[in-house]
Amino acid sequence: MDPSEVEFLAEKEFVKIIPNFSLDKIYLIGGDLGPFNPGLTADVPVWLALNLKQRQKCRILPPEWMDVEKLEEMREFERKEDAFTPAPSPYYMELTKLLLNHASDNIPKADEIRTLVKDIWDTRVAKLRLSADSFIRQQEAHAQLDNLTLMEINTIREFLLDSLNCMYKLRSNLQPGATKGQFADY
Amino acid sequence: MSDALSEDGSDIHHDDSQEDVMTPAELIARLEQAWLNEKFSPELLENRSEVVECVMEQLTHMEANLQRVKKGDAKAGFHRMEMDRIRFVLSSYLRSRLQKIEKYFPHVLEREKSLVEGQPSLLSPEEFAFAKEYYTNTETYLKAVALKRMPPNLQAVDMLKAVPEPCLDSFVFLRVKERQENVLIEPETDEQRDFVVDLEEGSQHLMRYRIVAPLVSSGAVQLI
Repeated sequence: MDPSEVEFLAEKEFVKIIPNFSLDKIYLIGGDLGPFNPGLTADVPVWLALNLKQRQKCRILPPEWMDVEKLEEMREFERKEDAFTPAPSPYYMELTKLLLNHASDNIPKADEIRTLVKDIWDTRVAKLRLSADSFIRQQEAHAQLDNLTLMEINTIREFLLDSLNCMYKLRSNLQPGATKGQFADY
Repeated sequence: MSDALSEDGSDIHHDDSQEDVMTPAELIARLEQAWLNEKFSPELLENRSEVVECVMEQLTHMEANLQRVKKGDAKAGFHRMEMDRIRFVLSSYLRSRLQKIEKYFPHVLEREKSLVEGQPSLLSPEEFAFAKEYYTNTETYLKAVALKRMPPNLQAVDMLKAVPEPCLDSFVFLRVKERQENVLIEPETDEQRDFVVDLEEGSQHLMRYRIVAPLVSSGAVQLI
């Protein structure tokens, strides 16, 4: 999956905006939004919020987790634990990038937040590399990865799945009588 | 003055052959689930032509509404953006399926042939026609380019053997939607034992596709 497709999924998450226009309810295929009144918060999906922001029709409010103290705590927690701790949001990386690129004027301490999120990401990806390595080495057949976000899974997806499949092919060819027919070579 | 766009899209319910009526939001969610499952599964999944048709219906209805509205209406922009997103998911879904059909065409046609009465079909009528044409074209091409120049007793090619099968033992990532108990995981090597895991709702796992294939078709797990 392309990272832009993960971002596509992340854009479905809801975020609060303060519009500067008024519009009555809109009935999208995916659900109803609005009505919009200037100065009153409204919940909209990120793809719409970004479009409105670019047309200077709203202010975007940072999500709850996008706060310096909270992120600092999470970063320390992540560094302390060996296992994966719950992520700030299932799409924290994508939302940070989208919101800070398009709406950094609406988000207090944007630079610090960028650094904190990057630190959290780096720690998690390092853990991911270690656990992928041990998964392959010990030829495990199953792993539970509850706290991983889609972007992290996607980072390692191609490499991990390809190597696991290669190893499986090599192993199953060693077994006598393996006549399952050829496997697809990508 | 009634706004053409405020005709509630949820008036259109899909209710011809299914017992439950789906709202458009549920329909789009189903489409996205089918899209992700098809993208990540090594084999071609059951076709969801009812979802595809309903989504096309919704899109054409919305497009018709938008034609009737005067240009520059604020809401039209929002609707168009949403429609573009839905169209992207739909085309990506259909493209995934076509890629798999092209890759595994003899096996796909074989599976379709061996379906029992009452089992849902693997291919939509258009996909079936496409697969058969692709088969015929490939056969003709091989004959014309190489086979007819071979000695007469070597001129046959068994497509089922010539084209590799999808590898159902590939690993996949999945998220559990309905709790499953006692899922058996067979070991890779002889030294390891079989073991069972319980799949808790909302948890994410990495395991071989073969183990969860029936759960993917029933919707109990979602490939991610």
